[in-house]
Amino acid sequence: MENFEGTLTSLLFLKHTGETLDKHSCLEPLNGLAPRYTPSLFQDCSEGYMCKTYFQIKPGTVVSHLGTSAHVQTCLPTEEALELPLDDFEVTETTTGSEVIKYEYHVLYSCSYQVPVLYFRASFLDGRPLALKDIWEGIHECYKTQMLQEPWDTITQQEHPILGQPFFVLHPCKTNEFMTPVLKNSQKINRSINYITSWLSVVGPVVGLNLPLSYARTASQDE
Amino acid sequence: MAEEPESALQLPPSTAADGEGPTEVSPETATPEPPSSAAVSPGTEEPAGDTKKKIDVLLKAVGDTPIMKTKKWAVERTRTIQGLIDFIKKFLKLVASEQLFIYVNQSFAPSPDQEVGTLYECFGSDGKLVLHYCKSQAWG
Repeated sequence: MENFEGTLTSLLFLKHTGETLDKHSCLEPLNGLAPRYTPSLFQDCSEGYMCKTYFQIKPGTVVSHLGTSAHVQTCLPTEEALELPLDDFEVTETTTGSEVIKYEYHVLYSCSYQVPVLYFRASFLDGRPLALKDIWEGIHECYKTQMLQEPWDTITQQEHPILGQPFFVLHPCKTNEFMTPVLKNSQKINRSINYITSWLSVVGPVVGLNLPLSYARTASQDE
Repeated sequence: MAEEPESALQLPPSTAADGEGPTEVSPETATPEPPSSAAVSPGTEEPAGDTKKKIDVLLKAVGDTPIMKTKKWAVERTRTIQGLIDFIKKFLKLVASEQLFIYVNQSFAPSPDQEVGTLYECFGSDGKLVLHYCKSQAWG
């Protein structure tokens, strides 16, 4: 790669993820916050990535208690990662017949692309993972047509570089392209932007991770 | 691009909507606050008396994305970001494979289901909401 525009160094990756985590631990959710997300969206994993877990009721089903009880689950250290304890699930009661899906999002740094990468996986509460086909079903309509033109260049299943488990990956090969104009613009207007927040606001919704609007307040700052 | 004078290129709707014309978003006429919306666009069902059912949205291009001749639009509060994206893509005649992003604060892309009214409440100033848009081949 000869052009480094729109990329991020690994040091900046840590700095910006750190800022994203810090600034939002105390932020109150704004109006319009999607209720299925907890206010503190991400949790630091001290493994060089951040992660976020949430539970969603599969559309069309009914559930009694969820929403607010969905919580951010800590990331397990690598050695324990293979035995995800079931009692970790904090979903209280669900009406029978409804399907709850657990989504996990991890933000990692890609050394080869020099950009952040979004890894994610989804499973039912009994541990059954969702297949790629199910993932595609959940993709917002507005992205689907475009992404399905080159499905293997957008979402594929890969090994999580740290956990060593299968995850889906939203491909980073175009990340620098859509980040470049935003970064250039921020230089022009003398505002520093948080790469991670800005990037995640673009790619998150593709796979169901909608950042609360409160993140927009810290996505950029006057210098 | 982002900093050019807002009103300079603002054209009356007749010129601006030279395509097949947006159906739901109505270009705001050059006159400041006329008995506006009422029967302008097919999408208006609100009572005309209600002062600000629509929101003034200023659309600015980022990077090499084409500018829109009409920058200021009166948009329904309930219109989603996705609705706005579809409109801009159609207006700029972008091909389907091109992705268009809309940013608030010039850096944050609200999710497609976010409504313009909510964004206005959080980020509007001087009676209008400034949104930046940028095209890219983000996926595929």
